Order: sequence, then C-alpha cells, then structure tokens
Amino acid sequence: MISNTGPAYSSPQRSAFDRYNPLRWIGELSETRYWMYLLLLPSALLICAVVIYPTLYGMQMSFHEMRINRPGLGNGWVGLKHYQRMVTDPVFWVSLRNTAVWVTSAIALEFLIGLVAALALNRNLPGSKVLAVLILLPYFLPNVVAGHMWALMLDPRLGVINDLLVKVGLLQGYKAWFADPTTAMAAAIVVEAWHSFPFFTLLLLAGLKGIPTDLYKAADIDGAGALSQLRLITLPMLKTIIAAAVILRVIGLVNSPDLLLILTSGGPGRSTQVLSLYAFQTAYKDFNFGYAGALSVVMFVLLMVFAWAYVRLSKVNED
Amino acid sequence: MATLSINSVRKSFGAVEVLSNIDIDVEDGGFLVLLGPSGCGKSTLLAIIAGLETSSGGDILIGDRNVNDVHPKDRNIAMVFQSYALYPTMPVRRNIGFGLEMRKVDAKERDAAVNRAAELLQIEHLLDRKPGQLSGGQRQRVAMGRAIVRNPDLFLFDEPLSNLDAKLRVEMRTEIKRLHERLGTTTVYVTHDQVEALTLGTKVAVMKDGVIQQLADPETIYERPANMFVAGFIGSPTMNFLRGTLEQAADDLHLRYDGGTLALPELAQDVAHFVGRTVVAGIRPETLNAGPGAATLTGIVDIIEPTGPDTMVIVNVGGQLITARLGPRARPVSGQSLTLSADSAAINLFDPDTGNRI
Repeated sequence: MISNTGPAYSSPQRSAFDRYNPLRWIGELSETRYWMYLLLLPSALLICAVVIYPTLYGMQMSFHEMRINRPGLGNGWVGLKHYQRMVTDPVFWVSLRNTAVWVTSAIALEFLIGLVAALALNRNLPGSKVLAVLILLPYFLPNVVAGHMWALMLDPRLGVINDLLVKVGLLQGYKAWFADPTTAMAAAIVVEAWHSFPFFTLLLLAGLKGIPTDLYKAADIDGAGALSQLRLITLPMLKTIIAAAVILRVIGLVNSPDLLLILTSGGPGRSTQVLSLYAFQTAYKDFNFGYAGALSVVMFVLLMVFAWAYVRLSKVNED
Repeated sequence: MATLSINSVRKSFGAVEVLSNIDIDVEDGGFLVLLGPSGCGKSTLLAIIAGLETSSGGDILIGDRNVNDVHPKDRNIAMVFQSYALYPTMPVRRNIGFGLEMRKVDAKERDAAVNRAAELLQIEHLLDRKPGQLSGGQRQRVAMGRAIVRNPDLFLFDEPLSNLDAKLRVEMRTEIKRLHERLGTTTVYVTHDQVEALTLGTKVAVMKDGVIQQLADPETIYERPANMFVAGFIGSPTMNFLRGTLEQAADDLHLRYDGGTLALPELAQDVAHFVGRTVVAGIRPETLNAGPGAATLTGIVDIIEPTGPDTMVIVNVGGQLITARLGPRARPVSGQSLTLSADSAAINLFDPDTGNRI
C-alpha cells in the first residue's frame, strides 16, 4: 500500500517490503484453489463446535454412565446397557407410539389447513396480500407463548373455548381438555396444528405461484374439475415442496418437546409422553444423561431412516 | 365440425375496452386467423371463444349453439397454447389422452385414439416420455396431439409457433396446414406473424386496439388492404407509402409528388372525388420493376440489400424512401438515378386523414 504512494520508496526497499506484506500474501493465496477451503473454515469450525461435537458427545454419552444425582456410579463405559434398558422400558414404547401419533396427526392436520389456506391465498382475491401476512402470525409466536396462550384458552375454569362450546351447545359443561387422557393428545395436536400450519401455507403458496396458469386453462378445456385439477396437476407439481416441507416439519416436531412440556408435561399419566419430552425429562428431571443420550441417538436414527424412506417413497428424485 | 359465429362481442377490463363489437363468421371447416400486434385483443378474443374469459357483451355460437354460459369443457373445443401447457408430471400418452380420461372414455378406446393421434403426428416413439424430456418441436406436436385426439368441433391455437426456432416454425406451419386439410376441423388461430396468417388462413381478421381493421381472405388483405395500418402490417418489406396530390388532366389520372409524377392509368379504385387532394399511394415493393413503363418513378438509389432470391433497393424519390424488390442479379449503383416502373393496377390509394383506402 505504502509502496504505491510515491517515488520515495524506490525499488530495492519496495520489493523487500512486498515480500513480507501480508496483504500481498493473502492476495496470492486467493488465486489458488485452497482459498475456498480457507473461506469455508470459519463456518466449518463453528458447525463442528455447536453441531458435530455435541452430537458425537451425545452419542458417546449414551455408552457411558452419567447420573448427576448419583455420582457414586461414576461415568465409566457401560456398553449397550442403556439401549438394552430401552427395549424393556414401557415408557419408551409408549413414548414412541405417542410420537408417531403426535407427529403424524399434527402434520397431516397442518398440511391440510396449510394447503387450503395456500389455495385460497393463491386466488389473488382482494385483501389476500394482507391475509397472507395475518395467516403467518401464529408461526411468528414462540412455542412457549403459543402454548401458554392455548393453555389459558382451553382452561377448564376460565377458558374462552369451553365457554364458547358450552354457549353453542356442543358441550354440557366446561371440560379439562388436558386433564383427560382421551382428549389431551387431540387438544395438543390442535394447538400444534394451529401454531405450525402457516409453515405449510408459506411453502405451498410459493410452490403454487410457480405452476403456470395455462395448465389450469388446458385442464378446464380437457374437462378436469376442481378436484381432478388439484389431484392430477396441483399436488403432483407440488410434490418436491411437500416432501421438503414434511421432512423439515417432522424433524422439527420430533425434536422439540417444548409445546407438550408447557401444555401437558407428558400427562395425564403418559398419554402425551413423546420421545423428545421423555429424553428431556430423563436428562433434566432424573439427571440420567446416559439414558437420555441413548434416547436421543435412537431419535436421531429414526429420523434418518424416516427421511431416507420418505424421499425414496415419494419419488422426489424421479423428475 | 361446426361453424363459428362471433356476434358483437365486447370486452372491457374496468374502463378499458379491449374488444369492441367484434363480428366474425367462420364457415364449417374454415380457418380463421386473428392477426395483430401484441395487445390488440386477439388472445382475449380467443380466450372468450374458449370460455376461459367472459365477454362483456355479445354472443359466441358454435354450430347453432350459443355457448356464452357453457363451461369450456362442454364447448367441445380443443386448444393449443403458446406455452403448450403440457402436464409436466404426466407422460406424453396420458397428456394426450387426458381429455378423454376426464370424459370417462374407457382405457382401450382411449389408447386407440391416442395411438391414432400419435401416428398422425409421428410421435409414437415419444408416448412414454415426460414433457420435460422433449424438445420444443416435440412438445408442440404433443400439444397438437392433445387437441386432435378428442375430435373437437373447433381448434383454437394461441400463437402455437412463437416459441419455436425459425426453421421449425416453417415446418410446423406446413404441418398445421396439412392437418387442417386432412381433418377439416374449423380452426381459429391467433398470431402476430403475417406470414403464418397469409399461409394458413382462409379468412384473416387484422386487429388493432380491439377493433377489427379488416376481415377478408388472405389475397384481399394483401392486395387490397382496407387501411394504411393493414397495408403496413402485412408484407415484408412493408408496403411503400408515397404521398402526393391526385391530379387529373383529360382522362389521364396521376399522382404529383415532390420531384415528379406517377401515372395511374389502371387504378382499380374510383377516386374521382379525391382529385385535387392529398393522397397516399400504397405500392408493394414487388410490383416495382427496374426500367421505364406506363407508370414510372425516378429517384436516387440510397441503399442496396441483396437477400439472395431478391435484391431490395431503397430509392429516394423526392425525399420519400421507396423500397423496390428486384431480381437477384439487379445491382444498381448507390447514388445514381434509377427509374422504376410500377404496376398501377396494384396500387392502392389511401386517404391520409383517415388512413382508409379510398
């Protein structure tokens, strides 16, 4: 830099300076193929620190004893002990079943509501721009806020929903939705669907915008009704987006215990106990990090298998 | 097959009138071309015929049936879109048979119909591919297959060739003409390409700003354009417009322009009431020949453009540029004087105030 400013720094000195000039050194490096790895390095380090290391540490933990409230047991290698325990642990199997019900029902409902909303918004009726923003609002709410809000709305003594249902005549008296094992899961699913359907709306709407309108005109002339058009044109054309959205949502939902933690804490009994919640409680209530680690590893494997199978079955890669 | 009648059809979007009082009749088996620059309303008119757009007034009759309130699927029409609008997720076979499938035609009959259409269009080998695996020309054929398979009363084409390259466009143009001659289905064809219009149409409607400028057979459109817009829109290079005063001395009618006169001995128009007024003479470039004749124009050669089969010579005639289409060997010299003889029977005179043919 200085070397360029004038004749005062003339030849021999300048080249000596240049040789040790770090800017020049970086400049030369930027012309080589190593440069891209160098640019990736900071994010790669960050990912290692916050994703890969914890994941590996969690896996390692699942093969060790680690009970903070019983330090006497030490933290030695226990092999597959935690995994063996899981096989005979009834709570694990209940959690697994509940997870399947919770994730499948909630996502099916979210998808349906999201699709209907996206189709409606895609009609470009007056006001749909404002509605498109309003419809996203639930998704902007943190799980904790949404959970507490719905807990209050469904409250057996002062919940507005009970009040409305009684006034309309659908209910005889106020109902403790989250205290009844037969309704707790369903109520939680409704809350989850309300909270996350905008995710589907957003992605599906983007997909819908990409479908050429000529296709629908051609289908009109070919004699396809609205349902046929939805089934034979719209949904096949949204296939990739649907697959991506479902996978993202399944991963999100399987991994996050927060909504159920707030609404039911897994109860009543074990009726809303899901794997993520079970792992969370095992770690932070029982302080059994080894077993919690094993539960997490199982969830991780299940999700990998699910994502792989889903992509294969939905034939996303075909077109 | 059926006739098509478009009676006083209007269309406005709010205060903007995009079609005003369109009246067209197409005979059974006819080929109507809607021709005009973009934004002239031709595609809107086609969409109204198809039922994809509602009119603000007027009637569409296919055969004797008023189809104003009939859903597109019940009009027994088939349409080929500019984008082809093939269903990307379905193989070609299903694309072509989709209209039959939706009409609950049984699978065997459907397959037979699809195979017949595919054979006619020579796309049998493409039937199991998806549209994404086809070239532009192949997609075009599939789109046509989808249209012909149902044996509709009416074919509607919306600029079907504009996405193809020049060579393919010419080929497919011929194909469409052959198909029409073979099937004899009444057709409405939208294009902005005048060559397509003249080669394909039995009737051409030239449109501008939602108004039909001229509705006639291709020869009339070309030789006797109704106004200067039609005259200028049709033909390449376009018609020359030579401005001058119409004069009559004894029986001898002529046009006096800056720097000379053009005799009009065989003019096909009655222009007696325009004598003494300014008119515009429309002269097609190919009706001009080098050398003197009954009606001559003299000017200075400006530019010479050899195109292979022809040589376009642009001549400055008293400040007005006139293009003559001369033979391939014609090589006049730039800057020199050139005398051209015109076929005065082929000249059209226009009123410069209205632009209409006198």
